[in-house]
Amino acid sequence: MDFLDIYLNLFTVSLVQGAIFAFPALAVMIPFRMLGLPDLTSEGAFPFGAAIAATFTVAGFGPVLSLSAAVLFGFVVGAATALIHLYLRVPSLLAGIIVLTMLFSINIRVMGKPNTALFDNDSIFTLALDADGGEPLTQFALILALVLVFLAVFYWFLNTELGMALRCVGANQAMSRAQGIPTHYYIVAGIAMAGGFSAFGGAVMAQHQAYADVNMGVGVLIVGLAATILGETLVGRSTLIRQLVAPVVGSLAYFQVVAVALALGLKPSDLKLLTGLFVLTTLSIPIVLQARLPVRTGSRSRR
Amino acid sequence: MSVRVHGASKVFSPGTPNEKTALKQVDFALEDGEFAVVIGSNGAGKSTLLNALAGEVPIDSGEILIDGRDVGSEPVYKRARLISRVFQDPMLGTAPELSIEENLAVAARRGRRKTFRLGLNRRNREYFRERISILGLGLESRLSEKVRSLSGGQRQSLTLIMAALLAPRLMLLDEHTSALDPRAAELVLKLTSDVVTGEAITTLMVTHNMQHALRFGSRLFMMHEGGIVLDAAAEEKSGLTVNDLVGRFHVTDDKMLLG
Repeated sequence: MDFLDIYLNLFTVSLVQGAIFAFPALAVMIPFRMLGLPDLTSEGAFPFGAAIAATFTVAGFGPVLSLSAAVLFGFVVGAATALIHLYLRVPSLLAGIIVLTMLFSINIRVMGKPNTALFDNDSIFTLALDADGGEPLTQFALILALVLVFLAVFYWFLNTELGMALRCVGANQAMSRAQGIPTHYYIVAGIAMAGGFSAFGGAVMAQHQAYADVNMGVGVLIVGLAATILGETLVGRSTLIRQLVAPVVGSLAYFQVVAVALALGLKPSDLKLLTGLFVLTTLSIPIVLQARLPVRTGSRSRR
Repeated sequence: MSVRVHGASKVFSPGTPNEKTALKQVDFALEDGEFAVVIGSNGAGKSTLLNALAGEVPIDSGEILIDGRDVGSEPVYKRARLISRVFQDPMLGTAPELSIEENLAVAARRGRRKTFRLGLNRRNREYFRERISILGLGLESRLSEKVRSLSGGQRQSLTLIMAALLAPRLMLLDEHTSALDPRAAELVLKLTSDVVTGEAITTLMVTHNMQHALRFGSRLFMMHEGGIVLDAAAEEKSGLTVNDLVGRFHVTDDKMLLG
């Protein structure tokens, strides 16, 4: 009974969390799956988006402009990672770590302090719902609507000539060059878009909790990865739509799993360990299966 | 003359113990619609020549003229407007995560500016269906399937259709049947010959297989140590036999005879 009570209390809040984290989850999926280039920038772009949005909001730009600014600046940091990777020949993972590390200092510079309270400012929630920012369920509906709009636009883009070329670069760079596609530009654009998604998520998070903090990015990456993998397990990735929907479904599912874990009495501080173990398990399943079965192709080389 | 190569040279790792001259003052010109076959043992410079033409390997000196314009310093993606290519590895010529029709749509914009227009519409789908049906492989009913699911031979056939889709000024075929099983190789070669001669595409085909070299094309180049040591035009080529090539030139590589 206790368990059910706690879970029901957490249910709607977890829906909201899941919807917000759909953005950084998409930001993890895009480089990882669509560009074949694992990237960690979203861990830094998330709090950066929050810091930018908070600063713009405090400066009086209003919630919508603040969100837009976060997306733009998110593009910039994503592009920075890609440029470091492509032109300074730094491995993409390291490039992302460098950028996200530098963003910590930048975030504090942007806000002038490690955190910014937005309790007295309007947010998209106070604008669209009511002065208190609405109930969790209506908040969830609003964020989910935003997610779907982003997804629809992104899906349309991926089907344009430009978007098809972008996917082509992700699938086969040599062939893309031979087809006249300047691959560098597309990689920069793709990672930039991922940065924009993550920063937008951070900005929505800041508006939702009326608070931006330099440390709010910690763990975003692993949550995004877990969400992507979980989502792909649930809906697959056989078509473009499934691939795009997977991180969203995965993020929603992930936070429900977290709610269950908390309701079962686990401490919030245990969650990172569990998430890590979950990602590890999912990633290792194919390898463990391969090692157990006497595979035809593998046996020859082992002997 | 649609393609002219003048004094093209390339040395890899110059000034080191690994120094290797891959191209030595290569000169040749191809008429419009000419189908030239390039043979030569391993390390003769065939692949370097193709890579130099495509732009993957920058040449140290010399000129590569296409329709009179020197493209020697242009990157691969810029030359793609004029040059199309089929790779040796069937996995290299297509994007596995994209569908057959999406691959064709990308090829239909080869070297052209990309826009925010949808890549696929009813009209170009119809066109792709028609083009792909030439293969007789039934791919026209699988247009929306990912290329990942195709066999090597099917992929190479698709790559060939893609390479010819926008009538290139030069088509490069880099041992494009050597990774296929004999039946698929035969099919792709026949298709190559049909497409190349049917649409009069200026073509340079590298092969390891001397029978193929003698059977296909209207001209034969043999490369050795970075240079062209034999340039046989149509009549001379038709009189050649595998034994001639073995007897007269430095052909000691078994793979060339058996391949």
